[in-house]
Amino acid sequence: MLSWSSTKAGTDIDLTAVADGRDISDINIEHGALLLRFATACAERDEQALDDARRDLAAATDSAFMVDAAAVAANFEMMTRLADGTGSRMPGDVLEARASTIGAMGVADLVSRR
Amino acid sequence: MTNDEDRSSSLIVRDDLAEAHRLAWRHIARPGVWFTAAQRIELANTVLMAIADDEPLPPWVGLSTTDRLSPTAEAPAAAHDIAYRIARHAGTITADVYQAASAEIGELPYVEVCAIASTVAAVAHFCRNIGVDIPPFPEAVAGEPTHEQPDHIVRAELNWVPVAAPADQTAAVVQAYSAVPPEFDNTWRMAAAQYIPNEEMVHADWSRRAGGLSRPQTELVAARVAQLRECFY
Repeated sequence: MLSWSSTKAGTDIDLTAVADGRDISDINIEHGALLLRFATACAERDEQALDDARRDLAAATDSAFMVDAAAVAANFEMMTRLADGTGSRMPGDVLEARASTIGAMGVADLVSRR
Repeated sequence: MTNDEDRSSSLIVRDDLAEAHRLAWRHIARPGVWFTAAQRIELANTVLMAIADDEPLPPWVGLSTTDRLSPTAEAPAAAHDIAYRIARHAGTITADVYQAASAEIGELPYVEVCAIASTVAAVAHFCRNIGVDIPPFPEAVAGEPTHEQPDHIVRAELNWVPVAAPADQTAAVVQAYSAVPPEFDNTWRMAAAQYIPNEEMVHADWSRRAGGLSRPQTELVAARVAQLRECFY
């Protein structure tokens, strides 16, 4: 969805940078580096890093923007458990179409690939 | 005023999101299709424990084999074991793990436990993400599990779990909870408020409000969290 929405928006995104959590401030997603840092902190366990990322994102945008980003992160805490808990998989043709994305994101060898 | 109150006092959570989470907590505390409200709250607390656990059990160790699960627990031990694993190690769940757990508690009860875990994970992580405390669950509502289910439940190609017929006409994640309708309804109400309303999914330029997250910004957050959770889907 990231690759699709970025292409539709006329932006070419570096998926390997997203997968690695590197600084992606040089791509054309506004506040992309702050969002990536915030999303990373939401999924990891360093409370200070999360406090800092939350503060910096809200300062650069506004608290409603930060809350919306927090909600998206929370949604994928839900959806990843739903997908992995229920053995959800994509049809073969979809997998084939997404081969380059799968490679770029470095997820081909995950246990959760079914 | 505590730091928590200080932070939360300047935060405004939009009404639809606050309402979806309020309803999610109320949903947890009501009798389910396969578990009582007391059992559901018990399982939800296991999920909270798993998420917050500073010394998590390895994926292959069942919670019920430790002293962390109360001997007076009302829900089956196997339900607590799989709730903990879905909450903390979802990316390690294989078909064998699913089959072993569902053989103990039943396939549709397994779906309900999975839904409790995914619901509680969303609310708990949202609270942490914005820096506020997780609200307590409401009082358990009395009553027996409803045992209500769709007329036709079938096997799917795209999921381990059985689904409401017809199978495989929608994405696997969409049909995953369809055999336990209250969990399906709660999950997709939450997704609409947290992420994108279903009818807007095909619109790459959708945004919740002017100046809000753009679709690529939304998907950037989504992709990063899913990747860190090692979720291939």
